[in-house]
Amino acid sequence: MTLRTILLHRLPGIIPLLFLTSVLSFGLVQLSPSDPAEVALRLNDITPTPEVIAETRARLGLDQPLPIRYFRWLDAVLHGDLGTSYVNGKAVTAELRQALPPTAMLAATAAVIMLAGSLLTALPGVLRPGSRTDRLARLFLFLASAMPSFWLGLLLLQVLAVTLDLFPIGGMDGPASLALPALTLALPHMPAYARLLRAAMLRTARENFVLHDRARGLTPRTVMKHIFRNSLQSCLTALGMSLPRLMAGAFVVENIFAWPGLGRLCVTAIFNRDFPVIQAYVLLMAGMFVVCNLCVDICATLLDPRRREEAAQ
Amino acid sequence: MTRHVFATLTLFFTLIALAACRNDATSADAASPQELRYAATKDIRDINPHLYTGEMAAQAMLFEPLVSNTPEGIRPCLAESWDISDDGRIYTFHLRRDVRFSDGEAFNAAAVKQNMDAILANRQRHAWMDLIRKIERDEIVDEFTYRLYLRTPYYPTLIELGALRPFRFISPRCLVNGQSKDGVRGYAGTGPWLLTEHKERQYALFTVNPLYRGEKPRIPAVRWIVMPDHQSIALALQKGDIHLVFGSDGDMLQQETFEALRRAGKHITLLSPPIASRALLLNSRQPFTKERGVRQALQYAVNRRAIVEGILDATESPALTLMASTVPYCNVPLETRDYDPARAAALLDAAGWPAGPDGLRRKDGRAARIRLYYNADNAQERSISEYIQADFKKIGVDLRIIGEETQAFRDRQRSGDFEVQYARSWGAPYDPQSYLSSWRIPAHGDYQAQAGLDCKPWLDQTVTAIMAETDEARRRAMYAEVLSRMHEEAVYLPLSYSRTRAVHVKHLHGVSFDMSQYVIPFEKMFFATGD
Repeated sequence: MTLRTILLHRLPGIIPLLFLTSVLSFGLVQLSPSDPAEVALRLNDITPTPEVIAETRARLGLDQPLPIRYFRWLDAVLHGDLGTSYVNGKAVTAELRQALPPTAMLAATAAVIMLAGSLLTALPGVLRPGSRTDRLARLFLFLASAMPSFWLGLLLLQVLAVTLDLFPIGGMDGPASLALPALTLALPHMPAYARLLRAAMLRTARENFVLHDRARGLTPRTVMKHIFRNSLQSCLTALGMSLPRLMAGAFVVENIFAWPGLGRLCVTAIFNRDFPVIQAYVLLMAGMFVVCNLCVDICATLLDPRRREEAAQ
Repeated sequence: MTRHVFATLTLFFTLIALAACRNDATSADAASPQELRYAATKDIRDINPHLYTGEMAAQAMLFEPLVSNTPEGIRPCLAESWDISDDGRIYTFHLRRDVRFSDGEAFNAAAVKQNMDAILANRQRHAWMDLIRKIERDEIVDEFTYRLYLRTPYYPTLIELGALRPFRFISPRCLVNGQSKDGVRGYAGTGPWLLTEHKERQYALFTVNPLYRGEKPRIPAVRWIVMPDHQSIALALQKGDIHLVFGSDGDMLQQETFEALRRAGKHITLLSPPIASRALLLNSRQPFTKERGVRQALQYAVNRRAIVEGILDATESPALTLMASTVPYCNVPLETRDYDPARAAALLDAAGWPAGPDGLRRKDGRAARIRLYYNADNAQERSISEYIQADFKKIGVDLRIIGEETQAFRDRQRSGDFEVQYARSWGAPYDPQSYLSSWRIPAHGDYQAQAGLDCKPWLDQTVTAIMAETDEARRRAMYAEVLSRMHEEAVYLPLSYSRTRAVHVKHLHGVSFDMSQYVIPFEKMFFATGD
């Protein structure tokens, strides 16, 4: 089954999903009790008199019926125009373009730390379940899952940045400034993946091919490699979705570490009720989940001959 | 194998630390820093002096007005002197001749007129300021003389011309087709600083303006670092990554952090004189608070001193009148209503709200239940609300406190859908004239809270008349009348007079407060060597 066939098979399901996403992105913001025209005026310190509100409503197209506004917005979105921020009058597309790379970099680094950390904390449980190292790893995972990001971030700042003076407090200035926010973002996600990986590896270790490997006299390292490779497949979906999840969950970390990314842009927009930015953010994140899900499905199908056959049937 | 894995795990995190371990030598504790590092929760954004999207402190670093508001009154700035016609309608400004914009452009009457025309082309945006509506026209008299004609006399003209925005001057080269309302090409002003570099949402670097006419700042540069989290700012200060934190009402440093830093003694902590009033609005259009007797009773129910000492650690002063007596025109003798729960209860009894068996007061079957809305972002307001809730409970009034995000809070101000809500005066130099003037605008919570008063039409007319009154004695009498009447009506429940706070490293000197809470006088600061 080729990539083209898989895409042809999956895309008909994706398009309605993206359409629904756009409806929700647009519609949820409309549920806000605040009048967008008034919000736009207030954000620019213009006294919202009834005449000015009416004029602003007309200028922003808010005097049109909701379906017309939606289709106009959708048309613009499809042409790459996500509107204009009420706060600074800048194109939202440009704002996102500026804020996306720092968040992507943060999320990618966090994903690497998360994967490496998950593997390393899962291994003791596979090699020697119940050993002291396994218990320590589990304690570490328990603590990591119990710690909220904001608290963990401040703790890391206090210990590693203030007391030990190893890292800067915040900002985006070289690898040193990336380490703490990436670690803060990765740690709370790590336990779930570690447990998933641990369970998958333990399950795989009981497979006949592992017994066969051992009977062939392969080294423990080689056996472990085989177990790992075969276990990854069952975790692929969860791991593949980690990147959008990390990006969407970065706002607390970005705030603490003054990281100039999407999360901060969105939080500021929410506090200001800068509706065009909020809509664009929701759309982008939802789109990212849909696309990542598609990619994971494609990878899984390409990697697993059984799924390829299932899909072909 | 297990041991190896454990060792690898340890090594992994150590490596992350070491690989990333490139902590720049930017520590604020460096012996002779080349830049002052100031942390703010917000980016400077667009500092077009004629618009409102930028941070005022950053705008004030670059752009200057014709006249300055100082504690001693109006002082010359870009205008070295001025004349006012006998009828109070014509202002003639004699401009300084030694001023150039930072891009080399000459500052003269033509530049003033271009700026004023750009501002006036955007009247709607500046409608909050009465002066905008009063300006009829302006003209260039000669190269260094500029004249402003008003439709009617307006006494705060010079005060508003000295305000932070919009009457500040940018190089005409920066205007786009003579306009500034849709953005400017650059930020060349006449002030002591230049904006050299700006990375949005990260930092802004200001360096000394070589063309500045006055004494140049002793610090070569100011780095405005954006740190949205208050705790991170406190940690950065503790570490020495930043030199200065400056702000009011917990917008940069929370009260507890300020207190902790003050107690620790490793930094200098400063408090400005009172700058603005913090009060509660009691809505005269809502069922319970519409009665004057009830509103007056609530004034006696709140223990302001306990709030100031218990929550604000005595960093603010308790307020018994809406405006501090130090505010111009506000030194008016008024009957104070200090904490007296017995008197509050007696007034409620007299107003026909007797206490029921459950302690809650009722009248005609309606319980004394009211809602207090506060900004959910403001931890201080939540604590104060809880204190007030307990105080009201003692007199049989059930206060529900509801935290809302800023925009919802503002929506309520506009609609008047509240019984009790926080209000703040505008601070110097806007108090009292601009603040009182805003009472006439329906979108403001003050207007909504006053709207149920019989005297509201009189109040609006009198405020309008005050602004046009040219006789100082009559104006003073009118202010006294308005403040006395509002005090009698008890629509405002004054709580405290707030102050600006500054925390800085010990080797930074010259940290002081401007008359306006929004200005940070960076140009007066310097690092002392050998400290």
